[in-house]
Amino acid sequence: MSAVISVRNLHKSYDDFEAVRGIDFEVESGEVFGLLGPNGAGKTTTVEILEGLRPRSAGEVSVLDFDPATETMQVKDRIGVSLQATNLPEKMRVEEAVELFSAFYSRNTDTRKLLQRLQLWEKRTAQYSTLSGGQKQRLALALAMVNDPQILFLDEPTTGLDPQVRLEIHNLILELKAAKTTILLTTHYIEEAERLCDRVAIIDEGRIIAMGTPRDLQERVLGHARVEVVCARPVDSTNGCPVPNLVISDDRCRLSCSAERPARAVADLVRWIDQQGNDLEDLHIKRPTLEDVFIELTGKSLRD
Amino acid sequence: MRAYIAYLRSTLRLTLRDRMVLFFGYVFPIALFALFANSFRAEQSTGAITQVICMVLVLGILGNGFFGGGMRATMEREAGILRRFKVAPITPAPILVASMVTGWMVFLPSIFLFLLIGHLKYGMAWPRNLLSLLLFMTVGVVAFRSVGLIVASVVNSMAESQVIIQLLYLPMLMLSGATIPLTVLPDWVQQISQFLPATHLVLGMQSMIVRGESLWVNLAPLGALALTTVLSLFVSVKLFRWEKEEKVRTTAKLWILAVMAPFIVIGIYQLKSKENLARAKTLERELRRSSTYLIRDIRIFPGDGRVIESGALLVRNGRIEEIYDSNVPDAKDVKASAIDAAGKTAMPGLVDTDVRFLPGNIPRELAAYLYCGVTLIRASGVPPDVLSKLSAGELLGPDVVTGVAGAPASLVRANASPELLSRSLVQQVVPKEELDEWRGMTAAWKPSPLPGDFAAHHPPSIGTASGLPPLIIHGPLIHREMLLWAKAGVPLKDILIAATTGGAKVLGRDTVLRKLGEASLVVVEGNPLEDIAATERIFLVMLKGERISRQELFEDFDKKK
Repeated sequence: MSAVISVRNLHKSYDDFEAVRGIDFEVESGEVFGLLGPNGAGKTTTVEILEGLRPRSAGEVSVLDFDPATETMQVKDRIGVSLQATNLPEKMRVEEAVELFSAFYSRNTDTRKLLQRLQLWEKRTAQYSTLSGGQKQRLALALAMVNDPQILFLDEPTTGLDPQVRLEIHNLILELKAAKTTILLTTHYIEEAERLCDRVAIIDEGRIIAMGTPRDLQERVLGHARVEVVCARPVDSTNGCPVPNLVISDDRCRLSCSAERPARAVADLVRWIDQQGNDLEDLHIKRPTLEDVFIELTGKSLRD
Repeated sequence: MRAYIAYLRSTLRLTLRDRMVLFFGYVFPIALFALFANSFRAEQSTGAITQVICMVLVLGILGNGFFGGGMRATMEREAGILRRFKVAPITPAPILVASMVTGWMVFLPSIFLFLLIGHLKYGMAWPRNLLSLLLFMTVGVVAFRSVGLIVASVVNSMAESQVIIQLLYLPMLMLSGATIPLTVLPDWVQQISQFLPATHLVLGMQSMIVRGESLWVNLAPLGALALTTVLSLFVSVKLFRWEKEEKVRTTAKLWILAVMAPFIVIGIYQLKSKENLARAKTLERELRRSSTYLIRDIRIFPGDGRVIESGALLVRNGRIEEIYDSNVPDAKDVKASAIDAAGKTAMPGLVDTDVRFLPGNIPRELAAYLYCGVTLIRASGVPPDVLSKLSAGELLGPDVVTGVAGAPASLVRANASPELLSRSLVQQVVPKEELDEWRGMTAAWKPSPLPGDFAAHHPPSIGTASGLPPLIIHGPLIHREMLLWAKAGVPLKDILIAATTGGAKVLGRDTVLRKLGEASLVVVEGNPLEDIAATERIFLVMLKGERISRQELFEDFDKKK
């Protein structure tokens, strides 16, 4: 596996504002890589530099071994892009849009297959203004794929869509992932990153503050899962409990601990409660989310 | 290339789906056409119909360029549509070129449509140089489209584009001669208009439609329009923005001036040469000569000795189309405006075979002949530039045959008397302050008696020797001469023939009023065959089909004083 995108010490300033302050990452072929961060973190700026839409202020960037700043057309011809917000002329038909965009690229995929794959074949003669939000987003994906791209850039692919449609788009991306499409996506939805990405870079105020598989990140930052049990009656003391670092709630009914091996901790705890003559009412094993990771790292919430 | 064709196809398709395009490109111009054709009585004048066609076509070109090109491009950027194309491996060129070509393709049918309506319904001649016209219009459409695109590339919002477009659109509409004829505008406005690209477009178009001019005659405006297109395309590519978030600096708006540079050059040149203003006047003249009139209930004295006691004259496009002595048609049926002339007499324009100009205000003196019904003179002393302006129609006056008549032989000269100044035509023609000077000078004049044998030996034509001192009065002397001839006993019919077709014959011309003859004639109150003084009561002077507005003849000269 070789890196199809590599970014080293990337900087981008607008007038007196520094949007990107030294970013490094690589994306391997066949990987789904996510840039996760709040609005204004520098995600879009970063991908737009990779897409050849903006010049960078400093650093080294290569996309498919081309420099997007100087070999813009080569890069654009080989990648597919779905922008954060796009629009098409109201009266343009679905198939016309696909045909038009196909004409811009040196490689094309089969229009019919593409539209069928994106469930737009039945809608091919519909005008853009009559499409639903989900259909518009699927069309945006179709346009990003007319050239059978070597890398797909998806900038906030589900922002502003309702949950049902979001799920639809997620499934599509998972399909692409299964087909080993290289995808770079940006999002500020935790679930999206967790669900879709092989690797995620958490980005805030122009810097990458953590990077790895979603699971890695969760573990590296908070370490362990938390086990929590609820007892029927308050426990008197924790003396003799085999589980270390037990935290007891004020009403002495809830016990929780952080555990490296949560299954073992649960077994130990349940046995101990039973020995105390108490009854078990409820039990949770909580894995930390990327949200927790983000809060932990930045001290702020991802969503405004 | 594939991208160009695909983008063009797409733009064309979308444009044709746009009802606004259909409305502003066709429905609206057709409605305007109908309205103006009706109110200008276009069916009575091919000049008027040409004017109306030019008006709607120029309106179409301006709308196509500014709104179809400029506003639309701004809108697509504002709506985030162009943004999507930014990520594709294309330059702005296909987008700009598609806009221009689409503008042209949408506009082209309307040229044929209006020419066809003009031809079929209003009897307008098919332009002689159709290819030239189409090429010129093509460059025009594309040039204005490109100016629209420049506007789009230097504005930061729809609101801004509206303002700039109106700033360009309205003056070009009102001051270019498209809606209001240039020649009626004040001088300074006419000069400003020379800086507007639309003025050159209108003038070129009119010249090609009315006069059948070819492209070669209009190379300057053609070149300027083409240069503007190229400059605009170049600057548009440079300043092209895909997203509304990208702003341009305010100073970028100066690019509009830069792409108009060819017209600034032309404008400055025109300020000096006034060529265009002259052309506009010439065109205006041709348009005025193209009206249709039915002069009815009139006594006609064709100048060949016959008299039609009650008939009608149909004048169309500068010629006498028909002389009726009975079965006069309805004016509507022959698409003419009717002139009721009961009790009046039509005769060929008067001819003075001996006119001698001294350096001075010759154009005004020429106008005076026309005022007095004289449509042909033999004259000496007319400078060549005046002659050429006269023949181009830039100046109004009689036809001039240059030459010297020989020894002066007029009775009016021999019998010069103060009474001359009491004739009303003289008072109308000679400026008031000069009239007083004349009164002082002529007081001493003693008329000599009329020669007794004049009636038997009168010449075949009338030459007044106007302009030969002391009789430096131009225009009305021929009427006085006719009066003296009558006093000397010459039969009135012979006098009228000598004063019209007889004089023309001496100059090698035939001015007898006949079918397909030139419509240069004079209509007087009453019957000069009974009272020769009737020729002084002029009702109408027509020169080559133009109904001369006699009141306005001296306006240009007298207001300058």
